Amino acid sequence: MSGRVLVVDDEVEMQRALRAGLQYHDFDVRAVGTGEEAIRESVAWRPDVILLDLGLPGMDGFTTLRALRPATRAAVIVVSVMPGEKDKVRALDAGADDYVVKPFGTEELVARIRAVLRRQADVTTGEPVVRTGDLEIDLARRHVSVHGDTVRLTPTEYELLRFLALHAGKPVSHTTLLRQVWGEYAVGDKYNTRYVVAQIRKKLGDDPANPKYIVNEPGVGYRLEA
Amino acid sequence: MIRRLAPYAVAIAAAAAITAVIAVVAPAATPSALSSLYLLPVLWLAARWGRGPAITGSVVAFLLYDFFFVPPVGTFTVRGPAEVLELAVLLAVALVTSQLAASQRRAQATAEALARDSRALYDLATSMLRADEVTNALALVGDSARRSPSVERFAVIGDAGQLAGSAVTADEVKQAGWSRDHTQAVGIAIKDGTVVPMKTHGPASSVAYLPLKNGVVVLELKSDHLDAAEMRMLAALIGLVDLLLDRRRATVEAERARGLEASDRLKAAILSSLSHELKSPIAALRAGLTALTAPQAGLRDEQRELLGDLDRQATRLDRMVGDLLALSRLEAGAEMEREPHSVAEVLGGSLRAMRSLLKGHEVTVRIPDDLPPVEVDEMQLGRVFSNLLENAVDWAPTDGAIEVGAVLIDDHVEAWVENDGPPIAPADLGRIFDTFWTRRSSGTGLGLAIVKRVVDAHGGVIRAENRRRGPRFIFTLPLAHVAVSR
Repeated sequence: MSGRVLVVDDEVEMQRALRAGLQYHDFDVRAVGTGEEAIRESVAWRPDVILLDLGLPGMDGFTTLRALRPATRAAVIVVSVMPGEKDKVRALDAGADDYVVKPFGTEELVARIRAVLRRQADVTTGEPVVRTGDLEIDLARRHVSVHGDTVRLTPTEYELLRFLALHAGKPVSHTTLLRQVWGEYAVGDKYNTRYVVAQIRKKLGDDPANPKYIVNEPGVGYRLEA
Repeated sequence: MIRRLAPYAVAIAAAAAITAVIAVVAPAATPSALSSLYLLPVLWLAARWGRGPAITGSVVAFLLYDFFFVPPVGTFTVRGPAEVLELAVLLAVALVTSQLAASQRRAQATAEALARDSRALYDLATSMLRADEVTNALALVGDSARRSPSVERFAVIGDAGQLAGSAVTADEVKQAGWSRDHTQAVGIAIKDGTVVPMKTHGPASSVAYLPLKNGVVVLELKSDHLDAAEMRMLAALIGLVDLLLDRRRATVEAERARGLEASDRLKAAILSSLSHELKSPIAALRAGLTALTAPQAGLRDEQRELLGDLDRQATRLDRMVGDLLALSRLEAGAEMEREPHSVAEVLGGSLRAMRSLLKGHEVTVRIPDDLPPVEVDEMQLGRVFSNLLENAVDWAPTDGAIEVGAVLIDDHVEAWVENDGPPIAPADLGRIFDTFWTRRSSGTGLGLAIVKRVVDAHGGVIRAENRRRGPRFIFTLPLAHVAVSR
């Protein structure tokens, strides 16, 4: 078994399709239809990943997400039909690890689930060096290199890259980046993060139109490829 | 009759009274000196009642004086120039005074009439302003006009029938329509601030039509009684009707605009909720179809192929629903959240989202490293690139090349998406961005319409050209004015 996945969706057809699709990919799957059941099941069954639909009847997705976060260490992937960018940011800020927009194909979903599971494993091992492709970020030594060549970053640039590296694979919102890099009071100017990312990309030799390392999440923020 | 004769009786009585007074005091003075006493009643009569009674008084006074005091007493003989002069003086005083008094009275009457008219217009204007609806104000003006003694009927006809005033026949409404369409008055005109009846050709009718900018006044006058003041008042009222009709038109237009705006918003809201409802079953479809294409599902290759086809159709359906919603939001005037963005980065997002669709195509990106940022809505520009890329994939050969680029030209950025597919027919270059216009039976005609609307909303322009390699879509984007703090 590659992991336990809890599907939270009020549509039976969706539950059945996801259960079948994920089981073919060797996941152990359970499906529930409400937020209350999701919380109960997350404690009782201890899933590794929770697929949480935001459009639940009764206790809504955001409330469920906030209740789940202290109850479980499972990665939460938020699923939603036509989410606005603000909804995505809100979900990330409330503790979601990723989001997937409905409708999606099974392959895409499986890729996302594997990515969050891999991240969980990395965090558990406490590896101080984050690698993605040729990029290596040594968090203990504050050292960044591409192809083994040292890259010199300004303190601001390093701080931003370090935060993305700590959450490698996960989208980080502009506001979170701003707060992490410039402090609590530097909220509001998204272009600052864009400018700094552009500088980092230049030094890493990353093409903004086809990035290998730092990926733009339109309307949301940035993600370091894991 | 009695009322009209009374002043003459008073004139005779007054002359007689003065004669009695002179008779009483005559022994103390010469009667000729006392004759000037007769001026008093004549003056009074002239001032009070005008020429007729004053002349009557003068003549009676002269005759009485002649009879009683001028020798030979007891006869009406007139002898000598002194007596003729006396009569002449009395008559002259009567005439001059009555003339003066009459013009005085006329001036006063005019002043009173003017005051009355102004008062009436003022009252009308006040109640008009208080009226919530223009139609109510029009009714007030209509009532006011109909109170005029010169007016038989007064009605206001608008574009869609009668708005206020007296009852009119269907024929009269038709005639009013003719008058409006030809801006030709029938039977009356307004000249120098007053209503002037006019002779017209054709069958004689007492009903007149006066076209205004936004309606027609239908007026029937009582032909035997046309008072000048009433006609001026009527002209003023027609002026008010004109103003009110203007106001009504403005109100109607504003309401229509509000209605359209509200219906656009409603349409967008309905489509938004409808899209949500449509996408949920598509989500279940895609999840189910793609689950079965996994090798572990144990289906044969041709079965998996079929499922793949079905999934592509479901994906297309999903995109169409998305396009429909996007277009309706744009048409309802969706706000652009414009911020400084790098063209390359936004393009990167679109390329990434379309990875699977672009598979098999060679995509070249030509954007200079130092291209300045543009002031755009990131999601909307992403949509522009996605739709143009999708269009390119549809038209480029299976392993065809697609080129995307951007350059700085003067004070804006020009971006393009080009494919090496067949050229666009020159006749189609202009209408290719029209909503629902498509070159293929399978297209929705929405993708490029959305692109154009987004570019428009950013103050840019878009055009399609046939290049040597194939069709190219070129659009402009505004530069961002950024002060970066580091």
